[in-house]
This record gives sequence, C-alpha cells and structure tokens, in this order.
Amino acid sequence: MQSNRLGWILLAPTLVILFFFGVVPFFYVLWLSFHQWNPFALDPAVVYNGADNFRALVFDNGFLASLGVTIAFVFFAVLTELIVGYLLAQAFMKEFPGKAVFRTIHTLPLIMAPIIVGSIWKLMTTPSIGIIPSLLASWFGFDLNIGTSAVAAFTVTVIMDVWHWTPLVTLTLIAALVSLPADPFEQAQIDGANKRQIFWHITLPMIAPALLATVFIRLMDALRTVDEVLMLTGGGPGSATRYLGVHIFKEVFPKTNYGYGSAVSIIVLYLTIVACWLLYVALIAPRNKKA
Amino acid sequence: MKFAYKLSASAIALAMMTGMSFAQDIEIKNAEWWQEAGKKFDGTTLRGVTESTPASNYIADVLAPKFEELTGIDVQIETTSWDQMYDKAIKDMEAKTGIYDMVYIEQDIVYAYLSRNFLVDITKSLNEKAELKAPEYSEDNFTTFAENFRGSDGDLYGVPMEAFIKVYLYRTDLFDDPKIQAAFKEKTGKDLKPAKTHAEYTEIAQFFTDYGKENGMDLWGTTAQAHTGHPASWYEYFESVAPTFGVYDWGIDANDNYAATVENGGTMNSPEAKEALKWWLSMRDIAPPESVQSTWTEVATTFAAGRAAQGLVYGENAAWIATDESKSRVVGEVGVALPPLEPGVMEEAESGKGYIGYYDGGAFGLPVTSKSKDAALLFMQFMALPEIQEDWAAAGSRITLTSTYDTPKVKEVDKELGGYYSMLRDDGKLFKGAPEYPFHRQVIEATAPTFYEILTGSIGPDEGLDMMAQKAEEELKNLGYRK
Repeated sequence: MQSNRLGWILLAPTLVILFFFGVVPFFYVLWLSFHQWNPFALDPAVVYNGADNFRALVFDNGFLASLGVTIAFVFFAVLTELIVGYLLAQAFMKEFPGKAVFRTIHTLPLIMAPIIVGSIWKLMTTPSIGIIPSLLASWFGFDLNIGTSAVAAFTVTVIMDVWHWTPLVTLTLIAALVSLPADPFEQAQIDGANKRQIFWHITLPMIAPALLATVFIRLMDALRTVDEVLMLTGGGPGSATRYLGVHIFKEVFPKTNYGYGSAVSIIVLYLTIVACWLLYVALIAPRNKKA
Repeated sequence: MKFAYKLSASAIALAMMTGMSFAQDIEIKNAEWWQEAGKKFDGTTLRGVTESTPASNYIADVLAPKFEELTGIDVQIETTSWDQMYDKAIKDMEAKTGIYDMVYIEQDIVYAYLSRNFLVDITKSLNEKAELKAPEYSEDNFTTFAENFRGSDGDLYGVPMEAFIKVYLYRTDLFDDPKIQAAFKEKTGKDLKPAKTHAEYTEIAQFFTDYGKENGMDLWGTTAQAHTGHPASWYEYFESVAPTFGVYDWGIDANDNYAATVENGGTMNSPEAKEALKWWLSMRDIAPPESVQSTWTEVATTFAAGRAAQGLVYGENAAWIATDESKSRVVGEVGVALPPLEPGVMEEAESGKGYIGYYDGGAFGLPVTSKSKDAALLFMQFMALPEIQEDWAAAGSRITLTSTYDTPKVKEVDKELGGYYSMLRDDGKLFKGAPEYPFHRQVIEATAPTFYEILTGSIGPDEGLDMMAQKAEEELKNLGYRK
C-alpha cells in the first residue's frame, strides 16, 4: 500500500505536466475545431459552427492534395528507413575496423534539431550553387532543381527524412537484435535453414514488436513533419511538398484560421491512430491469436 | 581544454568590450534627465521581440546596453525570424500574457494590430504623462514614414526604427566597363545605362545573361525573388512589380467592397496585372537558377555574390552589399536607380494616385498587455533620439528621422551606396508601404498556393490571376470585409 502511494507521488509531477501540456491542449484544439475563429476577421469572436470545419475539409482541394502527398511521403520515407536501418543494424552486429567511429557519426543526425537539418539540406540543394546540384551536374549532367521540379523536391524531402531518422531505426533494431536468444538461430542452422529462411521465420517474428514500435514512432513523426520541409522547400514547388504538417502550419499561423486548422489537426490525429491500429491488426494481432 | 575555456572567455570578454565601447561612443544629450527618469524603474527588465534585421540587431547589441548604462533599466531584445517574431508577438497579445513590453510591427502588420486594439497610443500616453516625455523626443523629428504607424485619430502607435525602399541596384563596374558598353551598343544600338522602362530592363537583363553564358561567367542579367513555396515571391510581384505596371494595393479596391476581380471593380486580374506577371516571369527565367528558391535574403546574397548585373533589392541590404567586404564581392561597385516603369506610372505616383515601388520598414510598438509600459515608453523615446541615429543609419541602411540625412557618416555611406540615402530622402514619397488592410497574411495565404502553381507553370498566368482574384474575394467574404 505504501509503495503504491509512493509510486503515485513519484508519478504526480509527470501526470500534472502531461495534464496541462497534453490533455488540456488536446481538448482545447478539439473544442476549437467546432468553432469559427480568425482573430483578424471583421468579427474576431469565436463562433460555434458545428461540424462545418470538418465538412469543408472534404471539399478542400488543398487539404486533399496535401493528404495525398503526405501518404506518399510517409510510405517512401518510413519504408526506406526500415530497410536501411535494419541493414545498418545487422552491419553493426558484426565487428569491423572503425565500427565505433562510424556508429557515432551515423548517429549524429539524430541529435540535430529539424530546423537545422532543413537549413543544411537547403544549403546543399540550392539550385546551381548547392553542393549536390553542382556535383550531379558536373558528374552526370543532371540538373537537380528543387525549386521547379516537384519530383526532385519530393525525393529530396524523403532523402532528408531518411538521413535524419534512420539512426533511430538502427539503434532500436540493434537493441532488439542484441537481446535475441542464440538458441533458435543455432537450431535453425543445425536444421539446415538458409539465411533467407532464418530472416523470415526467426529474426523477423522475434524483432516484430520492436519493429512495430519503431514503425509507429516514425509513422507518427513523418505524418507531422513541418520544420525541415518548411525550411527546405516551404511546401513547394507549388504544393508538391505541402505535407499535412506544413498545411496545418500555414492555416494556423500565418492565416490565423484557428478553427479550421484545429479541425485539420484532429483529422490528422485520427488518421494517425487509424494507421497505427491497422498496422497493429495486420502484424501483431494474428500472432497473438495464434499464441 | 583549459586553453579552449580561456580562448572562449577571452572571445566573450572581447565581444562584450566591443559592444560596450560601441555603447560608450554614443553621447546622449541631457543624460541627467535620463538618469533621473530611470531611477523609479531601477531593477526593471524590459523584453522585446523583433525580426533579426541589421537595424534590430543594432538595438539589441548597442542601444539596449547604452540605455541600461544610462537608466539602470535592463532591456532584453529577442531577435528571431519573421515567422517566429510574428507568432510570439501575436500569441502574447492574444493571450494577454504580458511577456513582451515591445513588439516589432512591420509596416504591413500595423493595421491588423490596430484593428485588434493591441497597441498603446504613444502620443496620448506621453501627453498624459509629461514626466515621461524626454526633452529631445519629438514626433516632428520623424520622416513621413511615421505616418504608416498612426491610427485613424492621427496618434502614433509605433516608434519607427527602420525604413527603407526596395531599389533598383545595378553593378557600376559592369555598366561602366567600356568593353561591355561597346558590346551592348553593338548588340542593341543603345547606350548601356540603368533602365527606365521595362523594355529597357529586359534588354539589359537578356544582354548580361547572354554575356555571362558566352564568357563562361557566373553572371545573369537580373535577380528574381521567385521562391516557389514562400510568400516572398508573392510580395515581390504584388508590392514591387505590379505597381510599376499601374496595379496598386494588390489589385484590391478597399473603397469598392474590397473587390479584387475586374468584373467587380478590382484590378488583381486586370490586363495590366497579367502583363506585369508575364514580364516578371520572363525575368525570372533569365535570372540565376537559385532564384526559384530565393526570398528577400537570398536575392541580396545573390547580388552580393556578383551573380546578377541588376535587380530589385530591399534597401536594408544595400549598405552591407555596397560596403561590407566580409560579406560582399561587389563592394564599391553598386549603383542605385528608381525601378523601371510603364508609361504614366511616374505621373500617377507624383500626383499621389499611385506609387512606383515598396517602402518597407518597421516600428516598435507597446502592447497594451505590457507590465512595464512607462519604462518601455522611455526606451522607445530613446530609440528616437537624434544623437543615436547616425551610426545606426550607417549600420542598418535605415533612416527614420529627417535630421539623420545630414550627418557626416550617412553622407559618406551615401556616396559609397551610389546615392541610396539621397534617393530615400528625395524620392521616398514615390514609394508606398503595404496597403492599409488588417488582413494581409490571410489574403496572401489564401492566394499564394495558386501563385506558386503559376510559378511552376502548372497554371498559366492569365488563368492563375483570375483564380487568385476570385480566391481573394472569397477569403475577404469569409473574413467579413467583403459583403
């Protein structure tokens, strides 16, 4: 009983902070999403407008286009991060000269603020003077211009995200791989299983919980990407990289369309929960059922 | 490690000493009055938030320490990006948290702030509290730019701290080069001199882009602030290009139910607006490749790097481009001229019906939510003292008091800048700030996505401007301004 009370006392500061900085803002945004409020309108009052904001979303071409490019961005970025992250984690499981140095360098992007990452990539990809377009032009005669080409801008934002966040995937998967027992692998080898069979039937199922947790984290992060992209492309060219986070930022901050922006935020939260739930149902639930 | 600490400490000490020596260089007349006035605020800390510009940095680095030395009032100035500054100021005033005692008001935000009654009436406050009014402070000292910060009652709601025009900069080393002049003459049959019309500007721009290509130089004929995802491009077109074709106030007629479309009485999609956009796009196409990612800062950097022969550049950058060898490759090689115009636009500007370009700048305003209004009023008057203006003008290409034009340092820099300050004084009246609308960012964000699509070529300029004018009217209707 005493240890229970002590536990609550120790937890209390976290719960208080979570309440004021998590729960209260969430309900405030939820409340705002059912209102019309632009402080620079002729009438700046907060007016209840039912589900009008959500209804407007369905017909908002800007939002729908933003949703489309965001899904594509999340798919390519997270999938690439998982593949590259797993390969790197496997590489780090082996000993090779300079491993410690390489692992440290590889982890560095993780500690950088997104706004800095965006600035660095902007400097590197500025048309004609950035190092990447310059090298691509001189080596392959390829003109990389993220200011005019939607495909180039989209691809660079994906690469930037992969560069920034793959180390997180690698570190998580290293932790998962290190904790795996050796017995199943030894038995599989004795039974004559090849590497592909070992990966599909032993490694992957055993690291699935860690993999899924990583996917959840990256999925949620990628869906709300703002700073890096805003700094790199501003959402352009046109609306090619106006991902949902950027779309919300532009609705809420410069346009001060607080009610509508809140509605978009709620929908994005809903979509994130649905995506995570679908992933859970597809990957984990069948295993639990079997067990 | 110890050496590194010592080195860092020395560097910090040196930096502080440099700042202090700057601060000590300024001699304040009637210093006793300031010491006396500051006594009752001893221990007070004032907080301000502003955009990181040369003029703002001077306030943070030089004026704030000097004011503290004089009055004992600590002044903390936060210099940050425009977006951050706007966000922080709005949230503070909206939520009435009273964090900031001074907020930067760019000329185009003041109307929005006034419409929300966010700002203290400085004229009235100083009239009511005579003990706070500094002997050397007078609203009569300000240039006409201060008019932008007056309310409908004629009172001042912001103390101007930076003011500049967006000028036509050109490279004197290129324009005065006899070989280039001969080549230009041979190609066009004309003398090479700063353009007065768009046709002349086009000819010069095309000549230099071709010249750069033919001679293997990183040189293009013009700059273009043409970012395909940042409102900087929107601003360049509507505030600097469209007016030179006779399209004013973004093509929105505030006196005609905020009409934007031609059919309702606006000019946002008028033939002149479409011609202006097509001309600007044609200039963008022969500008340096980075132009499609350029905001105001990058345009200045492009020009300072010697990559453009001419261009429209914000005046706040003119001084460092022309004088700072650590940042610019074209020091001493910069000339200024009025922007190229269509026939009839100059006459409209002179008669007050129109204008030829953008007069930008900002002021420090005092939020009604401030917890130290009186101390803030003191600092804001301090910023407007004639004796501190000279160095500030030389450092930040800004002039807000008429007397500053005649100071020795400003005259000296004026020569290096090819007469920029003289132009600001003599021709400033031909330029105009942003229109007096309280809905700037709202209309910009409503129409900008279409504008970016025009820039990428997904939508044609004619069709795009038609769509933008309609979007503008829709947004104004949503906001309640258009009935």
